[in-house]
Amino acid sequence: MATELATGHILELQGVVAGYGKMMVLKGASFKVARGAITTIIGPNGAGKSTVFKAVFGLLKPQSGRILFDGCDITGWQQRRLLEAGICYVPQGRNIFPELSVRHNLELGGVAAGRGIDLQARIEGVMQRFPMLRHKADAQASTLSGGQQKLLEIARGLLLDPRLVLIDEPSIGLSPLLVQETFGILAGLRDKGVTILMVEQNARSALQMSDRGIVLETGETRIEDTAANVLADPRIGQLFLGGGLAPKAG
Amino acid sequence: MALLQILISGLATGAIYALVAVGFMLLWQTSQTINFAQGEFVMLPAFFVLGAMKFGGMPFWLAIVVGLLLSLIVLGVLFKVLLVDPMLRHGVLPLVISTIALALFFKEGVKTWYAAEAQPFPALWSNDNLEIGGAVISVQNLVIIVVAVTAVLALQWFLARTRTGRCMQATAQNPALARILGVRVERMILYTFLINAALVALASFLISPIYLAKFSNGETLGMAAFIAAIVGGFNQVRGAIAGGLLLGVVDNLAASYISTQYRGAIPLFLLIAVILFRPQGLLGRAEERSV
Repeated sequence: MATELATGHILELQGVVAGYGKMMVLKGASFKVARGAITTIIGPNGAGKSTVFKAVFGLLKPQSGRILFDGCDITGWQQRRLLEAGICYVPQGRNIFPELSVRHNLELGGVAAGRGIDLQARIEGVMQRFPMLRHKADAQASTLSGGQQKLLEIARGLLLDPRLVLIDEPSIGLSPLLVQETFGILAGLRDKGVTILMVEQNARSALQMSDRGIVLETGETRIEDTAANVLADPRIGQLFLGGGLAPKAG
Repeated sequence: MALLQILISGLATGAIYALVAVGFMLLWQTSQTINFAQGEFVMLPAFFVLGAMKFGGMPFWLAIVVGLLLSLIVLGVLFKVLLVDPMLRHGVLPLVISTIALALFFKEGVKTWYAAEAQPFPALWSNDNLEIGGAVISVQNLVIIVVAVTAVLALQWFLARTRTGRCMQATAQNPALARILGVRVERMILYTFLINAALVALASFLISPIYLAKFSNGETLGMAAFIAAIVGGFNQVRGAIAGGLLLGVVDNLAASYISTQYRGAIPLFLLIAVILFRPQGLLGRAEERSV
């Protein structure tokens, strides 16, 4: 599958159908994610944004369709294998182990590390980058503020040097200032060549700092374009106000 | 110095309760298993040892090794694979009821196929007494305290200081997240079942020389472990330890100074008091659960 590599796409969904029990949330979602860029998926509640991540990260088995990472079919892979391949996933909400120290929370990001990786050096490196984590290294993770916890989650995800970061609603529960800081970190990662795929409810500010945008509605891709074009699209406001984008039948 | 004597024997009983309560709580934390057969889990390994000696003609030390291995297989692996995994899919309540059924099965099984009478169990250490400042202290009790405390401290060390231990803690605190980070969650849960099996086997080998091996031994022990875990705090290993020790001491003090007839009631008073006034347990942390 050299074509995906040539066109500069790191991730591709091909007609993915996935959901919970009998209810399918993704009804044949297809889109491509550009390498080394920040792509934001937006869409109304229930559009299947988080379900995309669960399907990519092997937490939901797609009923049909394929997921390609660097041209390689990763559909249904185990999390450990996905981590080794260079994908990391930062889910929505608070994702820390409250009773472990900050250092040990970080260390758990390296569970899937191969034998050749010096985990202590990686942890040192991450702490160098985010001095707050070093400062709080021995404190229980539950003592961190919301913004610090999100930072810890992102830092933990970076421990294995991922090539693709899936991040779900990073701004939820954070003050506007912290949202800007978090977005700044993501932009810094992009500048280092890491691909970011983000889901955001906070569509406008997320798209403003993104390179590309994908609009999902009722489990299907409606728009796939540059972030600027998505932002400028008059249909976006309509979508979030409840009007559908699908062409009216009949 | 009767008080010292009572305290030592109370701590010995409490150390056994603590071993059993710690295992009980670890199972709950990592796999939502409320094991109402935990008392029978302590009763059974002694019979594995007696059976190995009686039917296998093994010397005592070898029978202990065999008893430990059988406990790891039956009470660890098989318990998880044959009962917990299939039942947990249907929810926590069906699983709890299955463990009650398992308790009955073990109890009646031993009664039917081995013996209904209490069986003497060889002592691991001498039955001598020491005289310290006028108090008569049994060596057995001291050994129980030392062995049980060492075992629990070693477990604490393993959970806190090794990477595997921290992966187990991560699995207990947030299994979905642990999986996302690549922790082998299934394996960590199996380790918990093996640790519980080893703890109950140890408790069984320590307590059976004193109380003899009897099919009904699990009734009081299981209840004591359950109460100790709740009194201490259901989500903390150190809570289960404190709860176990406290219960053992209170139990022995009550039997000596109040009345042996009320012995069984005292732990229940303690339980009710804790549930009323400090429901998260003495050392526990209030827990929020989404429903």
